[in-house]
Amino acid sequence: MGAYLVKRLAASLLTALLASMLVFLLVRLVPGDVVAQMMGQAGGEAAAGAMREFFGLDQPVYVQYFRWLTQVLQGDLGTSWTRGLPVTMLIGQAFLVTLEIGLLTLFVATVVGVPLGIVAGIYEDGPLDTFIQSINVVGLSAPVFWVGLMLLVGVSSMFAWSPPLRYVPPARSLADNLSILALPIASLAFLQIAAYSQFVRQNVVSALHQEYVRTAVAKGVPVRTIFFKHILRNVLIPIVTFMGLILIQILGGVVIIESLFALPGLGRLLLTAIETRDYPVLQGALLIVVVAAMVVNLVVDLAYRLIDPRVRVS
Amino acid sequence: MSFSRMLDRKGALRISLMGAAVLGLLHSAPASAQSEGLYGPVADNAVMGGRLNMGLLVEPPGLDPFHQAADARIRVSVLMYQGLFYEAPSGTAEPLLAESYEVSDDGLTYTIKVRQGVKFHTGADMTAEDVAYSYNYIRDPENGSPGAGDFAIITDITAVDATTVEIKLSTPNASLPMTLGNKYGAVVPAGTFDDENARNLMNAQSVGTGPFKLAEFVPNSHIVLDKNEEYWEQGMPYLDGVDFAILPNSASMLVALRNQRVDLVALSRPQDVQQVEGVEGLEIERWPSLGQASIDLGSETKPLDDVRVRQAISLAVDKSEVMQASIGDFGTVLGTVPAGLQEQWGLPLDQVPMQGPDNEKAKALLAEAGMTDGVTMTLTTINGYDWMDAAAVTLREQLGEIGVTLDIQKVDLGVWINNFRSSQMGFTFNDWATQPDPNLLFYRHFHKKPEGADFRNWANDEASALLDEGRAEADPAKRREIYNEFQTILAETVPTIMLFSPDHITVRSARVQNYVQHPTGWYYGLARTYLSE
Amino acid sequence: MTDLSHPRRFGAVGSLTRRFRAEPGLVIGTALLAVIAVVAAFPGLFASASPFSVDVGASMLPPSAEHWFGTDDVGRDLYARVIHGTRVTLSICAGSLFISALIGGTLGLVSGYFGGWADQILGRLIDVLLSFPPIILGVIITGVLGPATVNLILALSVVYMPVFFRIARAGALGEKEKTYVEAARSMGISEPAVLGRHVTRNVMPLILTQYMILFPLILQIQAALGFLGLGVQPPVPDWGAILEQGKDYILYAPWMSVFPGLAVLVTSLSLILVGRALQKRIDQR
Repeated sequence: MGAYLVKRLAASLLTALLASMLVFLLVRLVPGDVVAQMMGQAGGEAAAGAMREFFGLDQPVYVQYFRWLTQVLQGDLGTSWTRGLPVTMLIGQAFLVTLEIGLLTLFVATVVGVPLGIVAGIYEDGPLDTFIQSINVVGLSAPVFWVGLMLLVGVSSMFAWSPPLRYVPPARSLADNLSILALPIASLAFLQIAAYSQFVRQNVVSALHQEYVRTAVAKGVPVRTIFFKHILRNVLIPIVTFMGLILIQILGGVVIIESLFALPGLGRLLLTAIETRDYPVLQGALLIVVVAAMVVNLVVDLAYRLIDPRVRVS
Repeated sequence: MSFSRMLDRKGALRISLMGAAVLGLLHSAPASAQSEGLYGPVADNAVMGGRLNMGLLVEPPGLDPFHQAADARIRVSVLMYQGLFYEAPSGTAEPLLAESYEVSDDGLTYTIKVRQGVKFHTGADMTAEDVAYSYNYIRDPENGSPGAGDFAIITDITAVDATTVEIKLSTPNASLPMTLGNKYGAVVPAGTFDDENARNLMNAQSVGTGPFKLAEFVPNSHIVLDKNEEYWEQGMPYLDGVDFAILPNSASMLVALRNQRVDLVALSRPQDVQQVEGVEGLEIERWPSLGQASIDLGSETKPLDDVRVRQAISLAVDKSEVMQASIGDFGTVLGTVPAGLQEQWGLPLDQVPMQGPDNEKAKALLAEAGMTDGVTMTLTTINGYDWMDAAAVTLREQLGEIGVTLDIQKVDLGVWINNFRSSQMGFTFNDWATQPDPNLLFYRHFHKKPEGADFRNWANDEASALLDEGRAEADPAKRREIYNEFQTILAETVPTIMLFSPDHITVRSARVQNYVQHPTGWYYGLARTYLSE
Repeated sequence: MTDLSHPRRFGAVGSLTRRFRAEPGLVIGTALLAVIAVVAAFPGLFASASPFSVDVGASMLPPSAEHWFGTDDVGRDLYARVIHGTRVTLSICAGSLFISALIGGTLGLVSGYFGGWADQILGRLIDVLLSFPPIILGVIITGVLGPATVNLILALSVVYMPVFFRIARAGALGEKEKTYVEAARSMGISEPAVLGRHVTRNVMPLILTQYMILFPLILQIQAALGFLGLGVQPPVPDWGAILEQGKDYILYAPWMSVFPGLAVLVTSLSLILVGRALQKRIDQR
């Protein structure tokens, strides 16, 4: 386990390094930088040159990269070129918002999706199953941002209510916090509930078709015992993997939902950094996204091993 | 429902008259009585206190008035930072941190008395030393300010004594006071930028002299301004503070307005008005603007190097239809200056040459230029400027009538600005605003190189001579004549086609009182706003 | 299932009914997909109005007999735009996914079959791409390179390339140990020929199934990028782009958002139904 962990971590680090290099190169290869935007239509060449020098943009790309990497290795992601604030601070604030949305969505999706999936699986091909499955397909097909837009307008016109504008952290006021996040989470959860229940249903169905379950049914073992002893066990283990997958998916979906609902999360930070060509923020935010996705994968892997000792290093 | 029918029904005429009436008030304000002319009208019985929630559709990328040219920055930073003069909507520069000024007979030396009793947000008193430091900082291109070019005619700034600053010019410039306004730079404590981190700190705390101070800036979320308790104008501002909420899309903003989550919004797209019209408790107002939507025609790009092709395009454009498609009726079709400058400086609209639509004449010009089989051109639009999408498809139809096929290419702002500044703009839409002065509007954009930037490679000697003349002339009547002559050449040879000025539209809840929208689009009016109840 | 022994008794209709009973999803999905494909191929048959012609006087009209889906902000017929958008949207998605499958699949096959250092390096690079959540990868590429159809296709082809790579690689790894490969080798057939002819043929169904499964996902990403303004250039009618234009008028002209959204939904739905049925077949095999 220890050796495996070391190997995994080393591989992840290498991947993160390569990813950072890729992003660094990509943003610098295209025309139009932060200085162009700061200068606007009026700025002169001399002033623009001075600003490029100030940001180190006059240096060769590899010099810029090694400067940045040296900083990062010391735990410093630099300073935002437009906002003038430390990138670690900006990302720290934004990451907490995104994490909260992600975890709450995951929670809602699990609480609603798992029972739906189990019910659908148990009544395989029955009318209830057909009904749940139909809803699922719609949930999987509706674009997340579209659902968000429809919810926003629908709720506003039906209840004359819209979320408060300024994000409030849960520590300050949980009620305000939740009223801000309710619609965004609902829009994200719609898709994930569908994905979740679909997945759970499949696992329940395949468990029901197992030889030993059939035997148990034939022997007249009570349904409740079969359910808890065989099926639930069969369903819970894959769910752990699936949770990770969903969390990473939410991380992606959040980009659009955050701009729609004006939430100061990682996705919106990323988008504004792309728009303003704020490279330190862009590189920092992407690094965090990549590392977060890796951590989720690693945790899932380890959890999987703990729950099911049969899994061995492949 | 079409725009026009919508307007008939809702009586937009009343709204537009209201805006005009307020502007008229500013026009007649005596220039010397600063407490009446600055920022907006002083309220008779204002209620003190309260915080106003304002919605921002475009987030300022940063709040540093020295190094950030974005208009979204200026709109907010004018509340915290002040220059020597205030750009009054009437087109005159009124003393702000200056108290008075004298010009030498040769027009090359400005002696400026600095206002007494002004404190910075840091608590220090403002002196002539600070003024000289601030403007010397911004005019040095090595310091990287986008405003540096505007100050290039200044050769020297010195603090003569504690209350007097002397500015020397290389050539007479009638619009110097307007240049010392609030677009770029501001007066900050001497030595501010000795600290390497100073420009970053400006996003955390303000060091200006304005009516509000920066309390908090959380990117992608909000900006909080608190009242400057030691502000030099007696009894101002009325509000305890302004909370800006940043909402990047109109849909969410309009929903928030309807549900009273914000008190005041300046809509970036006038047609959004329809979506909040008739909502109880919301007041909609229109204001004239110094902004302009235009088509630029860079002569470096074939076949735009042929003046006949440019003229043909000018003749084929139906400006009012493009405006209808872009912003409905919420704007003014232009001749050769933005709407806010027309009365004072514009060439009378019936005298502007090469105005369409006149497709026959346009086709004849194209044929003369040897383009009988039609021609294909690429029109550039900028990502994020909503009006350009609608305008582009409309223009595509219009130019199609004379055999010009348009490919539409949308580019990112940064890329576009790079092309623009290197005079490689080609055929493009543009969206820009000016201070209320013809020299500041025209000189940099249209004077031939190297004195001007001549972004459109127009290289017109006659026009450049007129621009030099107009800049040096102090007499308003003569100045107007010179600029009228310039505008005739501009319209005749078509380096640009000014289409329309979109009105500024503000939507406020009924409790917001006395807010006047400045024609630049900057939020000066908040310094005179109060909340009833 | 006894009636399967008399497949011809009720003719084509009967067999369709039975098919429907057995796999309703597949039948509904295929039928919808067929309609969508015809619309994409011959949009002119379904919408006579031009998707481009501007009529400023008729802007933002609500749905009516004349304009089934209403009109947009410059008075274009939304029904025509959505119908013509079918071809634009679907060909961008299908094309991008084809590029991913072709490049990802080929690299995966070669990588898995021959192994070695090339396999190591490719695997590492694919890991890098996989480390970004798909939509974020799409946003970075189109956001940085700028909004243009070429960039959109580039971004969409990169997003799911790793998936095809992995599937093809795993397939090739599995196949290369099989007896028929050994046999072919011993008969003196060259390695590239074995790979090209035999291994590829066996891995192909996996890739095709994956193609169908990923199609609705790429459609969602394409629409999302369009919604963020990172999609095709105007005036091209594309569902995501129509949604992007419509979102600012959502209070006044909700039809500008509702119909293109429904188009994405229905297409996605039929693709998911067909993809699931295919997956089931593969699993049963």
